[in-house]
Amino acid sequence: MADSKQQASKGNTISCVKEQLAKMSDLEHQTLGFHGQKVQFIYLTSLCDSKIVNRSLIAPLYEMGDDKEYELYIASFPGCQQLEAPPQIVAKLLQGCAALAFDSGNLYLFDAARVEASGVAPAESETIVQGPSDSFNESLDVSLNLIRRRYQSASLKSEARTIGAQSKTKLAVIYDEDRVDHNVLKELMARLDNINIDILQGAAELDRYLASTKFRLFPTTILTERPDRAVFNLSEGKVIILVDTTGYAVIVPVIFNDFFTAMDDKLQVTLVGWFLKGIRYLGLVLTTVLPAIYVAFSSYNSEVWKIQIALLVAGSRATVPYPSFVEVILMLLMMEFLTEASLRLPKAIGSTATTVGGLILGTAATEAGLVSNIMIILVSVVAISNFVIPLNMMGFTVRVIKYALIVVATLYGLLGIICGCLVLVMYLTSLRSFGKPYFRIFVLDRLKLGRTSMGEKNNG
Amino acid sequence: MAKDRYFYYLFLINALLNIVNFVPKGLINGRFDGSMASIMVAVPLGLLFTYLFGKVMGKFPSTGVPEIYNQYLPKPLSLPLLLMFAVLWFIAGLITLLAFVEITLRYISMDVEPLTVLVLFLMVVCISMRINTESILYGLEVLLFLNFPIIGYILFKSLLNPQFNWNAVLEIVTHSAHWPSFGGVATATFVFSGYANLAIFNRVLKNVNFKLLWLLGISGFLVLLTSFLIPIGYLGTINVDRHVYPWFSTADVLRTKNFVIERVLFLFYFNYLMLSLASTILHWHISLNMIKGMFASKKRKKPKRSFDWWVIILFSGFTFAAQTANQFKLDQFGQLFLDVRFGGEGILILSVYLAYRRRKQRQA
Repeated sequence: MADSKQQASKGNTISCVKEQLAKMSDLEHQTLGFHGQKVQFIYLTSLCDSKIVNRSLIAPLYEMGDDKEYELYIASFPGCQQLEAPPQIVAKLLQGCAALAFDSGNLYLFDAARVEASGVAPAESETIVQGPSDSFNESLDVSLNLIRRRYQSASLKSEARTIGAQSKTKLAVIYDEDRVDHNVLKELMARLDNINIDILQGAAELDRYLASTKFRLFPTTILTERPDRAVFNLSEGKVIILVDTTGYAVIVPVIFNDFFTAMDDKLQVTLVGWFLKGIRYLGLVLTTVLPAIYVAFSSYNSEVWKIQIALLVAGSRATVPYPSFVEVILMLLMMEFLTEASLRLPKAIGSTATTVGGLILGTAATEAGLVSNIMIILVSVVAISNFVIPLNMMGFTVRVIKYALIVVATLYGLLGIICGCLVLVMYLTSLRSFGKPYFRIFVLDRLKLGRTSMGEKNNG
Repeated sequence: MAKDRYFYYLFLINALLNIVNFVPKGLINGRFDGSMASIMVAVPLGLLFTYLFGKVMGKFPSTGVPEIYNQYLPKPLSLPLLLMFAVLWFIAGLITLLAFVEITLRYISMDVEPLTVLVLFLMVVCISMRINTESILYGLEVLLFLNFPIIGYILFKSLLNPQFNWNAVLEIVTHSAHWPSFGGVATATFVFSGYANLAIFNRVLKNVNFKLLWLLGISGFLVLLTSFLIPIGYLGTINVDRHVYPWFSTADVLRTKNFVIERVLFLFYFNYLMLSLASTILHWHISLNMIKGMFASKKRKKPKRSFDWWVIILFSGFTFAAQTANQFKLDQFGQLFLDVRFGGEGILILSVYLAYRRRKQRQA
């Protein structure tokens, strides 16, 4: 009597599950019989690995003596669960589990997920000269493996989260328990819990939802594809968030200086490393202020320069029929178009675009007298020094800032540039990344992340 | 503790800014009547003030003056005091700002309307003064770090120049044996006034460590000597008082051959532009916080966000009104402020000490 009741409820469960999974062409529902008993298999063929299903589930069924033995065999797999509530079962099926229903009423969920991800490929957006070239890939497990292999410590913890009502993207929050600032961790967890979205497709997107203010100019988290950068930051007490299906990790909290660190700095001789870092900061200064300085010097404060240089610029600009700021903005926009275009083009055409755009157009424009020679030099310097910044996120920010400086230089000349830089410095110092001051000159006490900054705790 | 350096930055920015705030002018006016002696007196006096205020603020760790007043002084006393200090700090910033508009017109761009320049400066200051106290210190550090090498270069350049007349300097030094004047001492102690900024910055700076007080003394003394004597060396003992901003005229004497900029004046100007704006941001930030302290009640710790904007409108209004004053009046006003400020510092130290006594009584 009890047996039939159980069987009835089981039948209900299965029909309920099937109802929810109706109109799915990839749903597979098999009933296999042996020794007078029946086992039902339910799974989604697109999510499950058919090899696993065949080798681990179907083949042993016919090799085993009886159903009890087979049931024990199934239950012995790690990650094999026994569930009853239909919504849970559906969720598991959508993750790539196969459901096995026995006549006895037991229903097992067997993890047979097929994970399609590219293999561990060399890093593309953060290349370095010497050093490891592995990068994270789209599978969370592989990425975690890459970190764990480089950081073999029991204090390395990874907490799992799921974000996105539809996408159910898996996250792993990784940190070194002994070194992490627990205030930062708490803040991060709270912010993760507050994220209410349908679909999370990329680590960069997560970065946007984690930010405290909507409008900001500078990235307050780093996006990296390099396991060695992640591990280096872990050892500094930072938190890494790995996002499944993206191949990128988010690092929090970060400071301004982190964006100018390339991973091969550590591999260089100390002095060379400092030199390289200096070059990067110089590049930052050049790419932000050079166009504005050109505007200020040629239109406002030409008396500041030595007479020879002032004459040189004026002579070079003799044929140019419009004010200097128009010239600068025109050329810089050309430059932006070129960068954007070569980014999206297939590799084979990309080089043609740069040649035509950069070389031919530049030469023709100066010969036609539309822009000055000095302007062409300047634009190239600006573009090249922009690429000196190792992390792309900061590079994009810097690309935008220079226009703001051009505007103040157009209005106030050199005076405006100095004031603009001052406001920029003040803005930078007012930023906080998860409560940590973002911009300081001396960051030597950065390692002691466990302590809060100077006084009261700041919201950031 | 590394954090101590921030206290020295507060001192340093004020010390460097003396050039804009009419200190050399004041000292030069009395160069035959006891300015040297006043400097000698001002150094120990300034150090004493610094020490006393640092000590008494150390009794109230991580609190600013408004909180101390509101807690330990009766309301009829605390309100006028806060108002007075808000006004004093506002005027300190105002003088720097107006003087710098003056300098801009005189030395850099003669053809620009003063109002346009003022609007730019006000925008920079008003945007920046609202950021939190700790961030202002970080910003200050960055700016000082950027500007220090240039100041060092200019000093180096000016002392090694063969045109520099050491005899003129020596002549002024022979006038040392003279009674110091109140005005002279008040003017010279301005260099040490940076400590007073602790009134608000004590919120984020823990106990200040006075091990390096001697460094303050030496650097303050050297700053005073350079800002007083170098213009005399270049402009002459008699003619020097014809210049309202002697240091900018001095910088214009210098020339450099090894750089794209030929006149040192430009380097000096842009250098001081940054420092002056930073100092104004600092002073107005304190003034803003004093005003906020006046309106802080027990129920509501922090006033609304829009409050800041009302204060900004108020500050800007006063600045535009004050901008109509001519250079002569501004100079006089600046000198007067230096004297008033000296008295204000005394009141500041005494009032915080009073609050400390009252706390002790309450605890007893």
